[in-house]
Amino acid sequence: MEEEIKKMIEDGLPLVDAESEFLFGELDSLGIAEIMMMLGDKYGVQLDYSDVTPKNFKSVKTLATMVRAKLS
Amino acid sequence: MTPTESATYAELLALAERRAGELAPTRGKAVAFRAKPDVDTIATYFALHMAGAAAVPLDKALPDALMDEYRRKLQSESPADGTADILFTTGTTGRQKGVMISADTILANAENLVEAQGFTKDVEFIINGPLNHIGSLSKIYPMIYVGGTIRVIDGMRDLNAFFRAIEAVEGRHAATFLVPANIRMLLTFGRAKLASLSGKIEFIETGAAPMAQSDMEALCAALPKTRLYNTYASTETGIISTFDYNAGECIAGCLGKPMRHSRMEISADGFVTCSGRTLMLGYYADPELTARTLSGGSIKTSDMGCFDAQGRLRLSGRSDDVINIGGFKVSPSEVEDAAMRTEWVRDCICVECEHKILGKTLKLIVVTDGRDIDVRALAAAMGERLEAHKVPTTFERAESIKRTFNGKLDRKAYKA
Repeated sequence: MEEEIKKMIEDGLPLVDAESEFLFGELDSLGIAEIMMMLGDKYGVQLDYSDVTPKNFKSVKTLATMVRAKLS
Repeated sequence: MTPTESATYAELLALAERRAGELAPTRGKAVAFRAKPDVDTIATYFALHMAGAAAVPLDKALPDALMDEYRRKLQSESPADGTADILFTTGTTGRQKGVMISADTILANAENLVEAQGFTKDVEFIINGPLNHIGSLSKIYPMIYVGGTIRVIDGMRDLNAFFRAIEAVEGRHAATFLVPANIRMLLTFGRAKLASLSGKIEFIETGAAPMAQSDMEALCAALPKTRLYNTYASTETGIISTFDYNAGECIAGCLGKPMRHSRMEISADGFVTCSGRTLMLGYYADPELTARTLSGGSIKTSDMGCFDAQGRLRLSGRSDDVINIGGFKVSPSEVEDAAMRTEWVRDCICVECEHKILGKTLKLIVVTDGRDIDVRALAAAMGERLEAHKVPTTFERAESIKRTFNGKLDRKAYKA
């Protein structure tokens, strides 16, 4: 899942460093919205504003952890 | 107030006065600074005005090379007498234009908003957008004018921070400005939360881009008691008219009647033409463009519209190639120029494509020298010359770019 999310970010947000450990700092509001939409479409999870935390958006790994938690 | 600092009026004044003393040698000059979401930026803005300089707020994340370019440009000549602000905005030709604004215009804009939208000293205005953009910057003086509270947050990426800022407001006096893309984002990811704060929000202004009727209706339903304004404004014309679409008639494209210091007409060929105290002084270091744009004390915009039976402005579209991305104007030729300066691109055209949240986003169709496009490298190279919102998010390779019989890019052929 990490690789899939990394690829999605690289394809959809070409200015963003998908390998960053401070991903939240690299994103603007529209980048956040783009990732929320991509994760929702790809994994069928329901994400809302409360999921947009610096902790969840820290890296590709933490995004995957968030999606797995939603799926379970 | 920001999430981490606060200043009383007395503290802000003391800081601005001290800074104004240091800035005294800049009197009559244009001074560029990065507009960050903090108290220091607001104090610097006031200090430059107090020192008699022109404040030139720029993107908070502007690359150093571009910052140096702006500073060099601003040394080339003095701004027009009486210039308080120079705001850079995108022109149809792709060149950045420095719009010179006088202190009287800032005051006229402030009085327009205070009167038409009901700013009072109880209002706590949450500024969430960039302070180098008229949508956010234009709220500072009206709030100071009424003695209200300004809360500044760092953009809308952290929706929790936005909601926390509303929750922190005393009573039902929260107000804010949101571009349509941010409204759609709130409706998509936080509609129930927004509705739960209905009793806290006095008014929300939107502008800078057309808003979909469905989003307007959804916002009215979520916030039934909140005044919801759609405002007609631009950096050049100032703040002209506004319409509360939550007061019985929810009409997309309706921008209301002119405010106190503004006048509007529709030209014989259908364009909105503005006059009054809110107009710019002119473009920095460009008297020819100023003469073409500002003639006989009025500005003929690129917006097409008419007045309805109640005398309210109804917009129907734009006549130029400018693409609106989340409330920011982007000239496709500026994007194409940045792409052509990179090593990969032989020819290209920048077009708009639909986006669920933004409404529109940029796509670059590229002819290369035969190599595949390295999207990330190309985007990064373009990002050195452009602000981030002007860098396309989608790239597509083509064998050729369609042109008209006289060799110009055939933009119409790429329109959906």
